[in-house]
Amino acid sequence: MKARWDLILVPSFVLSFVLMAASQIIFLRASFYKDLGLGRQGEDIIFTNYGRFFTDEFYLSVLWLTIQVSFLAMLFTLVFGFPVAYMIARLRSRWAMVLLAGIVISTFITIVIKVFGIYIMFSASGIVNQTLMGLGILDKPWTVIGNDAGVVVGLMHFTLGFGVLVLYSVVQTIPRSLEEAAQIHGSNRWRVWTRVIIPLSLPGVTVSALMIFNMCMGAFTSAALLGGGRVFTLPVLIQRVVIMEVKYSMGGTLAAVLLISVLLINLLSIYLMTRMRKQRLVIT
Amino acid sequence: MTASTPLATTASNGTRPQPQRQPGFHFPLAKVSFYGFCSLSYIFLLSPLVVVVGASLHRGSRYTVVKFPPEELSLYWYTQIPDAHWEALTLSFSLAFMASILACIVGIPAALGLVRSNIPVKGLFSSIFRAPLQIPSIVTGVAFLQMYYLFGDLTGIYVNGTFAGLLLGHLFVGIPYVVGTVGAVLQRFDTRLEEAALSLGAGRITTFRRVTLPVIMPGVYAGGLYAFMVSFGDVPISIFLSAPGFVTFPVELFYGMENDFNPSVLASSTLVILFSLGLLLLMQRIVGLENLLRSGGGS
Repeated sequence: MKARWDLILVPSFVLSFVLMAASQIIFLRASFYKDLGLGRQGEDIIFTNYGRFFTDEFYLSVLWLTIQVSFLAMLFTLVFGFPVAYMIARLRSRWAMVLLAGIVISTFITIVIKVFGIYIMFSASGIVNQTLMGLGILDKPWTVIGNDAGVVVGLMHFTLGFGVLVLYSVVQTIPRSLEEAAQIHGSNRWRVWTRVIIPLSLPGVTVSALMIFNMCMGAFTSAALLGGGRVFTLPVLIQRVVIMEVKYSMGGTLAAVLLISVLLINLLSIYLMTRMRKQRLVIT
Repeated sequence: MTASTPLATTASNGTRPQPQRQPGFHFPLAKVSFYGFCSLSYIFLLSPLVVVVGASLHRGSRYTVVKFPPEELSLYWYTQIPDAHWEALTLSFSLAFMASILACIVGIPAALGLVRSNIPVKGLFSSIFRAPLQIPSIVTGVAFLQMYYLFGDLTGIYVNGTFAGLLLGHLFVGIPYVVGTVGAVLQRFDTRLEEAALSLGAGRITTFRRVTLPVIMPGVYAGGLYAFMVSFGDVPISIFLSAPGFVTFPVELFYGMENDFNPSVLASSTLVILFSLGLLLLMQRIVGLENLLRSGGGS
């Protein structure tokens, strides 16, 4: 008797598909109705929500800010994450596991708890301000809460651990022997980095970068908490519009814009992946 | 400079050629600055946790500032954790537990079907299973809320603000993790093991229980753990699907942050940190960290 693996797939697939299709279609449909206030929606299909989004400067500035902070967070995640990923991938002792565990722990603990720590560190009498003022670097307390820098910090708390784990698997695809070959032929470390490690990891890093950027675009909790109610990224605005203003249609429109931009970036990364595979840029 | 890299360790085992040392680069400045730079990431990621744990041990009145490092060690704030936190923790735990179990029940057959069947357009199927990870959680939250409203309008059963409603949302994002991790293990699975069992007279069920399941177990643990932790820490989905007085722990903290600050939240947060740490250690004991990461990485 041959096992029917395709039949085993059916119940799980139906559940996943129905949940996804139903939820997405319903909210996308709602985004075409008019908000009548108090959560009620009109009956007619209209495009004014989308029209408003793309003509209203406020909404456009929110989208632009979301892209800016996401880009910065992605950039810093790569800059700080790649060396760590490289270090762990090349370590041959038990320390590699310990260091990985440190990263995993930090990604597993909810950002809400970390934000408490950040609040305490950056409070006027907190350890950061006391140290910096004690050293004479600052003359008055500085904080990351409630400004754009804070949002970038928050996004990085969301992405850095994940970024290290993804980049770690990228570095693992580069054979150590290539670096040794370069060194035997007289390259110093700097040249090994610029001529071997960076070029070989570039395809993987590009795809990881797009993934990280996407995570940032959709990140709600860290942006909301470190924005302190003063910085609005798209996800923060969505929550506010839906929960506080009870405008389900406008919320749906904002969510649709976010979803579509994220999906476009995804398509771009899939396209890049297949192109790199064809050109054999990715070592797999 | 050569000696300053992790690469130098390869030379010590004697089997690989020793890279040439360059004169003038023996001092470990490059090494120190490289490791120093790497440690910045660790300080960045872990210091907030250390601060929360440390500050929770400082005994002070409600009106004094929170202190880190703590000056007067005490467990006072652990006795002051409000009931609301315990209720939220219980809800979060049962939700995450149920979501991860159900994600395994749905995800294991899905992974088996995806890897082993030869249905056409397999890529499309697997991307539909992976889709919940591509959709930003906040969009999932909004979408599920609207779906529940519509369902309620049609049937009279409103599931938003109930355990079932929350569970369905968390299950939705949990399934892809299990499908991913179990699928990754299955791809390396040697089917001859099953054939051996079958040819020796074991039934399909016995073969699955005694051969397949033990082999894919690391993937199941890893996927289940991801599903658990994602559910346990989620805010953007739960914030839409919970109701006043019926909130998960992260949402409780999220709302609490806007109101008056009470150091007891540091105590309950510390308990969550210790719990997560314990869970991870347990998993590391059962399947090993390397397996946990190799079999998935989740998304």
